[in-house]
Amino acid sequence: MTTLGQLVFSGILIGGIYALMSMGLTLIFGVLRVVNFAHGEFLMLGMYGAWALSTAAGLNPYTAALIVVPAMFLFGGLVHRIIISPALDKPHLVVVFATMGLSIFMQNAALMVMTADLWDVPPVFGSSVAIGPFYFKAELLIGFAIGLSCTIALRWLIRATYLGKAIRATVQDGEAAMLMGIPVPRIFLITFAGGSALVGLSACVMMPLFSVFPTVGLNFVLIAFVIVVLGGMGSIEGALLGGICIGVVQSLSSYYVAPAFGQMFFFILFLLVMIVRPDGILGQKGAATIGIKD
Amino acid sequence: MSLASIRIAGLPNGFALMPRRGAVSLFEIGLLIACIALVGIPLPQNLRDVVVLTFLYAGLALAWNVAGGYAGLISFGHAAFFGIGAYTSTILLVHAGVSPWLGLWVGALASAAAGALLAVVCARLKGPFFILSTLAAAEVVRIGALNWASMTGGPEGLSILPVSSLANMVFTSKAAYAALMLGYLVICYAVTMALQCSRYGYFLLAVRDDEDAAKAAGVNPLLVRTGAMALSALLTGIGGTLFAQYFLYLDPTFVISPELSFQLALLPAVGGLGTAIGPVLGSFLITPLSELLRAYLGHAAAGLHLVIYSAVLIVVMLYFPSGLAGALARLAGGRKPKL
Repeated sequence: MTTLGQLVFSGILIGGIYALMSMGLTLIFGVLRVVNFAHGEFLMLGMYGAWALSTAAGLNPYTAALIVVPAMFLFGGLVHRIIISPALDKPHLVVVFATMGLSIFMQNAALMVMTADLWDVPPVFGSSVAIGPFYFKAELLIGFAIGLSCTIALRWLIRATYLGKAIRATVQDGEAAMLMGIPVPRIFLITFAGGSALVGLSACVMMPLFSVFPTVGLNFVLIAFVIVVLGGMGSIEGALLGGICIGVVQSLSSYYVAPAFGQMFFFILFLLVMIVRPDGILGQKGAATIGIKD
Repeated sequence: MSLASIRIAGLPNGFALMPRRGAVSLFEIGLLIACIALVGIPLPQNLRDVVVLTFLYAGLALAWNVAGGYAGLISFGHAAFFGIGAYTSTILLVHAGVSPWLGLWVGALASAAAGALLAVVCARLKGPFFILSTLAAAEVVRIGALNWASMTGGPEGLSILPVSSLANMVFTSKAAYAALMLGYLVICYAVTMALQCSRYGYFLLAVRDDEDAAKAAGVNPLLVRTGAMALSALLTGIGGTLFAQYFLYLDPTFVISPELSFQLALLPAVGGLGTAIGPVLGSFLITPLSELLRAYLGHAAAGLHLVIYSAVLIVVMLYFPSGLAGALARLAGGRKPKL
């Protein structure tokens, strides 16, 4: 029973971190409907940034976020300017293939600069935290707390602020939004850059828990897409729930079945969700089709 | 005067210089003669490899294009069909001694069945959701192959004994493999041309461009899509067997990798979706580029060849969204093919 509880709670915590990682994708894919296949490589870049700052400047990964997050915001803006924005008025496949090209580009640029070696940062906290009969890494608890607070902040931003309303209006009907005086291209730029900044934050949170290497993004990008769709496209709290589901499924199946099959389970879960309820767990009805160009 | 309107004296009417829907052009015949010459002339070993792979990938790109280009079923999971074809024939050969010439058809049918299943399961999904589902389905197949070690050899892979004979589909000369791959390419091209002119081909385009209108006109979208995916998977599965017989070694981390799936989708996208010549041009440009860059730059700096390769891809996708075939059509003064 303790084992089961430990597995479930660990799954929930790691799920909160997965949710944080997919929060950026929720903005970019869930809200903007831009399929960014280089999302995992953005994470990889952020992780290298956090690693470099903690190795060279002696910062811990959490304080490194103060530099990595704004840097990733600028990087996201740059990618939007060079690749995403020129691709948006072309058939929707162009974005898919162009970002896939970007993903291969970033992976191999990283391979050239950083080699294929795995890099880690030293643990930030020496010991685990005991809560009742369960033990957790302090980094996991902090990651979960940051994931939870980001969910609440982002939900407030999208639901209650002018910027959030402008973003939602842009997605639902770009032309009408433009007629209402919303600067649509700038909204796209800000949302894309904001999503990238969130990936930067999750990279800093993940750096104490995972090693960084050039293809680290590949391991996580599929999980992130699964979470965004599972939770319901564009639903922020759905992404949190989706992340926790994936975390628990992975934690349980890798203990009771086999680690390799753990991955298979969430792909099957993803396919089941797609077949049975394409709007996701918390998505609005029809959320899966808004803004999709045929 | 545009190139399309040039007629060569003495040729039957409608015999055009540049590729057009539904007719064989001089361009295609010239390309075929050049390919046969490439098989025939003596080449250094490493260039021979490039020729073999270019033909194989051109055939695979054509196979992908049946679903992705004509039916609008953009799949990022075709490596699964490739892997099912390759593993089925190889397992039959290694465990039961069945000749690959027979195993090829068993593998192709298994792949076609998997393709039909995927199309039925994902029938309602559109755009990125369909893409992601095909990616997820291929991952399920890859992890399955990796863990079903008694049959597939798991991560250690599966080797074919290099006993060369025609019956084993194992050859000592690379020229024989080049001829085999060229045969595959020509078959895939012929299937695509036949599809273009057939009633069924028009059904595919109708369903791709406007599903509701096609339904109103009495076309069953599910049936049409399932057929296209099955045909595409069938051809891809054959390519898988040919690959296995060429490399004589299979391992799930390459044969069913997402990277291979991306490659299979990128070649037709660069060449031009929904055209017969596009995927061929895509492979003829991209495969030698990536293989030669790998050969010459691979030692200088790991990853440099893929950095250059992906930069070329991004530029082509952003500035030539209708691909090389679109550029060719503009050159010929014809209509721009629709992406």
